[in-house]
Amino acid sequence: MDFLHERLPNGLDVIAETSAAAVSTSLGFFVQTGARDERGPEHGVSHFLEHMVFKGTPDLSGDEINRRFDALGAAANAFTSEEDTVYYATVLPERQDEALDLLARMMRPALRGADFDTEKLVILEEIRMYDDQPPFGADERCRAAHFGPHPLGRSVLGTVESIGGLPVEAMRDYHRRRYAPGSMVLAAAGAVDFAALVAGARRLCADWEPQAATPRIAPPPPASAGGVTERIVRPAAALAYATRLTPGPSEAHADRFAAKLLATVLGDGSGSRLYWEFVDTGAAEQATLHHQEFLDAGLFLTQLSCDAADADELLDRVRDIYASTARDGISAREFEQARNKLAARVVLAGERPRRRLFEVGGEWAHAGVYRSVVDSLTIVESLTRDDLARVLATWNLAGPAATVIAGPDTAHA
Amino acid sequence: MKQSLFTATLDNGITLLGEHLPDLESVAVAFHAPAGAVHDPAGQSGLATLAGELCLRGAGDRTSREIVESLEHAGVQWSQGVSATHASFSGAMVARRLPEAMPIYADLLQRPRLPDGEFENARQMVLQNLAGTEDDPAHRTLLALRRLHLPAPWGRPTEGVSADVEALALDDVRHFVTEHLRPPGVIVAVAGRIAWDDFVSRVEREFAGWEPGPGHPVTAGPRGPHVGHVPHDAQQTHVALAWTVPPYRDPASYAATAALGILGGGASSRLFTEVRERRGLCYGVSAGYQTHRDFALAVCHAGTTAARAQETLDVILAEIDRLPGSITAAELDRVKARAKSGLVMQQESSAARAGAMARQWYHLGRVQTLAEELAHYDGLTVAGVEAWLADNPPRDLTVVSLGREPLEVRRGLSA
Repeated sequence: MDFLHERLPNGLDVIAETSAAAVSTSLGFFVQTGARDERGPEHGVSHFLEHMVFKGTPDLSGDEINRRFDALGAAANAFTSEEDTVYYATVLPERQDEALDLLARMMRPALRGADFDTEKLVILEEIRMYDDQPPFGADERCRAAHFGPHPLGRSVLGTVESIGGLPVEAMRDYHRRRYAPGSMVLAAAGAVDFAALVAGARRLCADWEPQAATPRIAPPPPASAGGVTERIVRPAAALAYATRLTPGPSEAHADRFAAKLLATVLGDGSGSRLYWEFVDTGAAEQATLHHQEFLDAGLFLTQLSCDAADADELLDRVRDIYASTARDGISAREFEQARNKLAARVVLAGERPRRRLFEVGGEWAHAGVYRSVVDSLTIVESLTRDDLARVLATWNLAGPAATVIAGPDTAHA
Repeated sequence: MKQSLFTATLDNGITLLGEHLPDLESVAVAFHAPAGAVHDPAGQSGLATLAGELCLRGAGDRTSREIVESLEHAGVQWSQGVSATHASFSGAMVARRLPEAMPIYADLLQRPRLPDGEFENARQMVLQNLAGTEDDPAHRTLLALRRLHLPAPWGRPTEGVSADVEALALDDVRHFVTEHLRPPGVIVAVAGRIAWDDFVSRVEREFAGWEPGPGHPVTAGPRGPHVGHVPHDAQQTHVALAWTVPPYRDPASYAATAALGILGGGASSRLFTEVRERRGLCYGVSAGYQTHRDFALAVCHAGTTAARAQETLDVILAEIDRLPGSITAAELDRVKARAKSGLVMQQESSAARAGAMARQWYHLGRVQTLAEELAHYDGLTVAGVEAWLADNPPRDLTVVSLGREPLEVRRGLSA
């Protein structure tokens, strides 16, 4: 695998990881903007804009974009998070130029008023769809409890009220502000023709007004509010869904990889301490721990679903497991098991260009860093039990947490 | 597109399928035994699922915990699941780890201990999963659709029914495993960086002593009514529709899947364009193809705010009615392009190839090359798809809604 990089005069970065073995090409634009970059009344505009980008350019209708992606046999989609908006397509290598042509033109969308009004209905349906599903808003409410008024605490989708009241002018303004070439990366992975990628970018993106990276407006997040428990009552729910957040290393922190390995030991979907205690015994439907990272903040996220009557007790037991692990440490055997699992995941994900695209493009957009599959494996294999002990000592997983439980009736009797 | 495909058969009726993908570092192996949920006796829905779960909980010399720890220590991404027809155990790993994983799978399939001490935990796990599906409105809608549209036992939920699972005993599981978790009909598929001859001798060594069982034909009962409603208190109403189409082993299935792709298979499909893009009625709407060996069904699904659910159903029905006689060459070309991409990209995933080979063996009794499969799509013409649609227009639809109020089906269902 080779890594290639070129910067256009207007600030747009073009990068690629090429693989001789790949039979497909994944490419995409990584825009450094998301929910945390929204000003008050813009809540939800990043994600809504992501939808509108597929509704056409001044000379291309939304239907035409959909038809062209399907005609390319492309698996094309997009996602929006707190810090990123990513548009991508995976195609057979001979379709690279056409896929780039389409994606690049979409980055300068028409944002027509009539399309905006129709798509607003789709966004409102998306909000209701998620609200009808587990964890019934517990995840978003918990994020808000953890981050307080900081924009990292806001939902990516926005609310029925914020989306309902959003004018199209606000979206146009947000797009002008946030989709500057200096804040965007064109990334590709797999069977990439890099010369053609750069030539295409020069042809299609050169007239984008030069602009350096747009500063992110948010102040650094506060420490966890901690010690908060909130409840959401959903009378029709069969189970209770709990989300618990405590602080963890950010993506700028040297311990981010150790944090992921620790989460694997404690709360992976199988073979972890939470799995044996709660899932294997049928005490809970799900019990997992993940490490989530942002530019300047990190989280340990516990997710538990179980009978509503058991939720409080099980959450106490989760905390006890975290406390006893910090006190007694991790055995050599379970450490090796988790490390081997992570290493195998790195290798298997490395075989899919789309997975590599997200990894390579995301790291470059945030940190300007490239890591090959071998680099990632080296990092995983160099981790030690001391690294995990340090993470446990630094970040008190058993400490004050933001907790939200959604379920049929989780109020104390 | 040169492929290295292999097959072999053991005397006890186990079929081995392999594909060598020299550019990959990984290997995926999958074992499919004919112990699926269609063999659940009436009133014991969930028995196959519970049996599959209990096989993991101690086998050969290993305890439940030792099985999982051994697999994960070898970096195996393992999974276990039960479908209507099969109990499946599979794993993807870095190629050199395969020799560690194989003896564990040999134990799981041939020497499960089915221990008394694990039975209650396994049952509780199955019950927790069933409770979780109660909270998934789309899943519940599609379950209700299958229950009405398909004859028992095919329409029953593979994951079981809580009241039935509550009543199961360990002896039921032991009996089920003895009867069903056996060759013939066992498929072992391996793909990735493999050494085929080594693999065959390894499977022969580990599995040649597995005694074949008698085989169990499934008798289908009557199907349910054509219209159903599931009361559910939520903001959105879900609607799902089904009708019968040819199974994968019928060459006409390619015309059927093309017609379904045009109806609801991509962002440029009729349903996505009319229901979402034009009217903004819902976030997701699609049509898909689900096949068993002897029958298959077309399935449409959408979820939308209760007040707009009737309009959504009306538009979906209108699009289904409009399909025959209206297909364009550009639409068919898009279906072909999507199919080609999907087939070629399978080669980047050992697990996808192992799964595809096993499916083809079960349905066709052989493995098609990717070139053969592509030729089926390349051979489709507008005239051919239209001729098939003219003879087989969507009819006898089953329509299910889930939400606060039932919907009205404004269409002659036997038309």
